[in-house]
Amino acid sequence: MASVTLKNIKKIYPNAQKKKRKGEPEKKSNLKITAEGVVAVEDFNLEIADKEFIVLVGPSGCGKSTTLRMVAGLEEISDGELLIDGVKVNDVAPKDRDIAMVFQSYALYPHMTVYDNMAFSLKMRKLPKDEIDKKVREAAEILDITQYLDRKPKALSGGQRQRVAIGRAIVRNPKVFLMDEPLSNLDAKLRNQMRAEIIKLRQRIDTTFIYVTHDQTEAMTLGDRIVIMRDGVVQQIGTPQEVFDHPANKFVAGFIGMPQMNFYDAELVKEDGKYAVVLEGAKVVLSEDKQANLAKNDVKSQSITLGVRPEHIQLKGDASQMIHGTVDVSEMMGSTIHLHVNACGQDSIVIVPMNDIHEEGIDVSIGAQVSFTFRGKNVNIFDRETEKNLEF
Amino acid sequence: MNKTKKSLGSTLGTIFFSIICVLYMYPIVMVVMNSFKKETAITTAETFTLPNAETFAGFKNYINALGAQGFLQSFGYSAFITISSVALILLCCSMCAWYITRVNSKLSKLIYMLCAFSMVVPFQMVMFTLSQTADSLNIFGLRFNTPWTICFIYLGFGAGLAVFMFSGFVKSIPLELEEAAMIDGCNPLQTYFKVVFPLLKPTMISVGVLETMWVWNDYLLPTLVLDIKKYRTIPMLIQYFRGSYGRVEMGPMMACIVMTVLPVVIIYLLGQKHIIKGVLAGAVKG
Repeated sequence: MASVTLKNIKKIYPNAQKKKRKGEPEKKSNLKITAEGVVAVEDFNLEIADKEFIVLVGPSGCGKSTTLRMVAGLEEISDGELLIDGVKVNDVAPKDRDIAMVFQSYALYPHMTVYDNMAFSLKMRKLPKDEIDKKVREAAEILDITQYLDRKPKALSGGQRQRVAIGRAIVRNPKVFLMDEPLSNLDAKLRNQMRAEIIKLRQRIDTTFIYVTHDQTEAMTLGDRIVIMRDGVVQQIGTPQEVFDHPANKFVAGFIGMPQMNFYDAELVKEDGKYAVVLEGAKVVLSEDKQANLAKNDVKSQSITLGVRPEHIQLKGDASQMIHGTVDVSEMMGSTIHLHVNACGQDSIVIVPMNDIHEEGIDVSIGAQVSFTFRGKNVNIFDRETEKNLEF
Repeated sequence: MNKTKKSLGSTLGTIFFSIICVLYMYPIVMVVMNSFKKETAITTAETFTLPNAETFAGFKNYINALGAQGFLQSFGYSAFITISSVALILLCCSMCAWYITRVNSKLSKLIYMLCAFSMVVPFQMVMFTLSQTADSLNIFGLRFNTPWTICFIYLGFGAGLAVFMFSGFVKSIPLELEEAAMIDGCNPLQTYFKVVFPLLKPTMISVGVLETMWVWNDYLLPTLVLDIKKYRTIPMLIQYFRGSYGRVEMGPMMACIVMTVLPVVIIYLLGQKHIIKGVLAGAVKG
């Protein structure tokens, strides 16, 4: 149990790799390249409170795992300070940081039994045998793996191995618990199950967690706060609800939420002191709080990128606010239906509850004409060029 | 049609490999057979026949070989040299390969290249300078021309193949295992001995068997380096069954060869399945 502070943390891979990258004409990511080398993580600032569950999320190559590895001590910190419980640990060896880590590939020692895998770190710390035994059995009980203690990892299924990997971490009672995409090797069903187990586990062991994932569902369900990263730069830090409702920029808006937010080229107009968005002739006046935020930032009338989540699009509304389109694809999801509507010259996704379709007899067959609109309180307004949320 | 083609192919294959097998086994069978014959029977027309009541010598040749020529002493030297050399090669080369694979520096690449290069340098090219060097080298009173220290010379000659094979396998060990060990409280040496070393077991066995066969059977290197009057390994000893004036004690020599071959055959049979595994390990990215 400890607080973790990352102050201006930076990770630069030296020039050798930059040269290699130079040779390759097509670059995979847009990482910044300076005279010193490739900047994998840039100016990372975060205060993690004691017992907080932080999730680092972002697409592949965004620097989230690198950040976690820097906290673990597996990667050198190029610049900045890392404090655990107020003590600077930049140059402290991983074994002396009192952290535990769960790896994506489990990283169980194949030549040891489950029991030995879990007891290994305690043996290294020269704990008395009976205490080791007690701790291992306790952890095995929590994770329901007592019956597998004598087996070797190769005789276990993916889910069981993951439990052992978690067990190996929890026996230590570490100050900070690090998890690097622990569920990404599991199939979808098992992943959901393990996710729920991690939530339960968290309530039981109640320590500081740093969790890395590229899966936004995991991020939303597990995290007290989420850190969204892209190309080594932190995009937004906030609670899942904050990030979902008020994304700081277009990238965050597109990354969080399933299906993805719809983006349109629209106009923001200010008439008589009131802000409204105009899309394909449909004019929607913004809600009071949005008005206030925009006024506070003194935002002028301009071309904007308008973001609306699929679940906030409705098929009923004022005729003057309707946007018309054609159904391209309709995906039946059970309780809802996802319509891909060709409107405003692009594909828009609309989530419609099945009840509405039955009650109002809406035609959602392919090629059908539909009209939709959205409410002023549910839109996000992004600068066309900087892609920043104009409300911030 | 296809089936007949297949069976014809396999029959031809069986015949071909059976012939090869007979060709390989023939000299060994001859040696074993003649080791039980009387001296006179070996050098006459009865060389190629099975022993009969007249020619059968029982274990006499073996007893002669054990007693007369100091076989046990030579066996001891050979065993000590083999065990010490192979142990040293396994320990040092696996550590070296681990370092080379995990530390990505110019030095590590250079060491790797040197090791790979040493495999293509013929022994004959360095043997004369080697015997001179081994005789004159004296590090803090430690000389290298005794059976107790010859293992260091074997380490040098064996390192190429061993490092090459170990590096291939170390590459297939996930780095996360070592990182997990570091987080679990290991220093680099503990990481090596507690995590990497046990995982290298299949490669250890295959490298061990290959190096054992080489060191045990090696004639040239000990002849060049050791003081022949004082120390004789088994391959050297066998030569001494050729007495003066061209006389060769064939019986004890055959017996000696059989006793020499036996330990290597046993080691090879015990470890053969690991040899294939070890040679192939790391060949394909897993």
